Amino acid sequence: MRTEYGVGARILIVEDDDRIRSSLRLALEEEGNVIDESTSAEEGLPAFERRPSDVVLVDLMLPGADGFELCRWLRRISDVPILILSARSDSHDIVAGLEAGADDYVVKPPVPKELAARIRALLRRAGRSAGTIGTLRFGDLEIDPDAGWVRKAGAAVSLTKTEFRLLCELAANPGRVLSRETLLDRVWGYDYFGDARLVDVHVRRLRRKVEDDPATPDHVVTVRGLGYKLDK
Amino acid sequence: MAFALGALVLSASLAVITYELSRTYLLRQRESSLEQQTFVNARLIRNRLRAGEPDIAALLTSLSPQHRSEHALHLPQGWFGGSPAAGPESAPVALRSKLLAGHVQVQVFRAGDEPRLAVGVPLPEVDAAYIAVFRLLELDRTLRTLRNSLIVAALLTAALGALTGRWASRRLLRPLADVSSAAVSIANGDFDVRLDGGPDSDLASVTRSFNLMAAALQERIRRDARFASAVSHELRSPLTTLVASVEVLTARRHELPPRALSAVDLLAAEVRSFQSLVEDLLEISRLDAGVADVALQEVHLGEFMDHALPLSRIGPIDVEYGPGAADAMLAADKRRLERVVANLIDNAEQHGGGVTRVRLERRPGRARIAVEDNGPGVPADERDQIFERFVRGRTGGQRQAAAGVGLGLSLVAEHVRLHGGAVWVEDADGGGARFVVELPARP
Repeated sequence: MRTEYGVGARILIVEDDDRIRSSLRLALEEEGNVIDESTSAEEGLPAFERRPSDVVLVDLMLPGADGFELCRWLRRISDVPILILSARSDSHDIVAGLEAGADDYVVKPPVPKELAARIRALLRRAGRSAGTIGTLRFGDLEIDPDAGWVRKAGAAVSLTKTEFRLLCELAANPGRVLSRETLLDRVWGYDYFGDARLVDVHVRRLRRKVEDDPATPDHVVTVRGLGYKLDK
Repeated sequence: MAFALGALVLSASLAVITYELSRTYLLRQRESSLEQQTFVNARLIRNRLRAGEPDIAALLTSLSPQHRSEHALHLPQGWFGGSPAAGPESAPVALRSKLLAGHVQVQVFRAGDEPRLAVGVPLPEVDAAYIAVFRLLELDRTLRTLRNSLIVAALLTAALGALTGRWASRRLLRPLADVSSAAVSIANGDFDVRLDGGPDSDLASVTRSFNLMAAALQERIRRDARFASAVSHELRSPLTTLVASVEVLTARRHELPPRALSAVDLLAAEVRSFQSLVEDLLEISRLDAGVADVALQEVHLGEFMDHALPLSRIGPIDVEYGPGAADAMLAADKRRLERVVANLIDNAEQHGGGVTRVRLERRPGRARIAVEDNGPGVPADERDQIFERFVRGRTGGQRQAAAGVGLGLSLVAEHVRLHGGAVWVEDADGGGARFVVELPARP
C-alpha cells in the first residue's frame, strides 16, 4: 500500500465536523488513499498509536485539546508528517502550528487535488537529490540521506521527515546558498507563491536540534536576503 | 527659542531707546546749564569792558569758571586767557572763525580723546568774543555707566526669556506633543498606546478622555477581530464540504447521466464563485479589523510577473517592460500582489471588454504596473468611487455572468495601501481605461 511516491497512502484525518470529514474522505479516497478517521485529539492519538498512518491531517479547532496539542503529542512519539488544516490564515496560527511540529498547512477549504499533492510531497523520500551514497560530514554532524539518520557528536538526532529532507537538501549543496523558493520547491513541492514561513520555521526547528547554540548557528547559516546554507 | 529671541529683541530695543533718550536729555540739560552760565559770564564781561576794565586776566580769573573748563576772551589785540585759543585743547578752527564773524556757537566736539562742549558768545558792542570750553567727562562717564547697565539688563532679560521659554515648552508644549503623537500612533494601528499624564492638572482631563477613547477603540477593534475569526470558521467549514464533494462528483463525471452532469457543472462553477466571494469578504473583514498580516519579501518584478500572469487563465499576455522595469526589486507580499494583478485583469475582462496591454515601468524609487482595457474608460467623476466597496461599474463587458459584488478593486486599493503604494485609473491612449499601480521599489 505504501509506495515511495505516496499514491495510496494511509491518512489519519482528525476533524470534528462530520461533513468535512466525510467529504475529505471521499475526495482523498478518489486519489487512491486509505483513510482512518478520528473526531478529536483524545481519540486521534491512541488511534495513531494502534495503527500508525503515513500522514496525519489535523484540524486546528477540535473539541477538548486543540490541534496544536495533538501535534505536540504526536511529535513525542513519531516523526510522521503532519498537515494542519486551518480555517484561518493568520500568521499566528500557522506559525504556532508549525512550531508545534507540523510539516505543512492548508487553509480551508482545501482543494482536494492540491491536498493530495501536498501529501505526496510530504511522503517523498529524502535524499533523492543527494546523488551521493554514504555519510556526509559537516563538523560534528553526520548525515546518511539514504539510510535516513543524523548524528551529532556521535549521538543520534531525532528529526521529522521534513526536517530531515531540509537538512539533506542543504547537505547536498555544501556551502552553497539555497533560496527559500528553492527549498520550498525541493522539500515541499511548492511553486513561486509558496509560503516562506514554512522554511523559516523549519530552519528554526532544525537549529534547535543540531546546533550547539541555536541563536548563533555554526551549521545551518542564514545568508541575509538570499537564503540558507550548510557550512562545514 | 522663540521666547528667548523675542525677549532679546524687545529688551535690546528698549535698552537702545532708553539709552538714546537719556543721552539726548542729559546732554541737553548739561548744554543748557553751561550755555546759561556762559551767557551770564559774557554779559558780565561786556559790562566790565564797557566800564573800561583794564586787567583782562584778573577779570577772567575772577569769573570762577566751572571745574575743568577753560575760557578765553578775544579782543582786537588777540586772545586772552586759557587754552581755547591755542594748544591741545583748542576749539575747532571753524568754530572760532564763525564766532569771530559774530555768531553764537554751541558745539560738542572731541579733543584729546574727551568730549567737550564749547560755548562761544560774540560781544560786538565791545568788539570782543568770549568762549568757554567745558569738559564733559563726568557726563560721559554717566552715560557709559548707563549704557553698560542697559546692556546687562538686556542680556539678563534675554536669558530670562530663554528660561521662561524652556519652562513653558516643557510644561505646556511637550504634553501637547505627547497627545498628538499618541493620536498618530493610534491612527497607525497601535492601539495599546495610552497617555500617562504628568503632574499638570490642566492636562489631566485631556489625558483621561484620550485614554478612554483609546480603550474604547481597542475594544471595538478586538470585537471586530473576534467577529472576523468566528465568521471565518463558520463560512469556511461548509465550503470545505462543498468543494470536496463537488470535486468527487466532477471526478466521476463519466458515471453521471447528462442531466446530473449539467447539474454538477453548474454546482462546480457556483461553488467556485462563492468560494472566491467568501475569500474576498473575509479579507475585507480582516483588513477592517486591522488583523491583516503582510509577509514582505524581496520580489523581483519580472520574475513575479512571469509567475503571476499565467494564473489569470486568460491566455498569454505580452507584457511590455519599460527600461529597468523588469529588474526592479520590491519589498512585497507575493500573494497580495498576485491578487492585485489578478483583480485588475479580472476587472478588465469583466468590465473593460478585455485586457489590451500590460505595461511595467520604472520611476525613481518606484515601479508601475499598468493594465489597459478595451472598454469605454472610466469617467473622471467616477475615478475615486470605483475603488470603493460594493461599487460595480455601470458599463458591462463582454462577459455578463457573475460580475461580482464590487470588491475586486477595493481589495486592490487595500493591498496596494498595505504596500505603501498607490493605485489610480486614467485614460489609455487607445480609448479604454488604464489602471496603474505604483509601488515603492529599491532604488
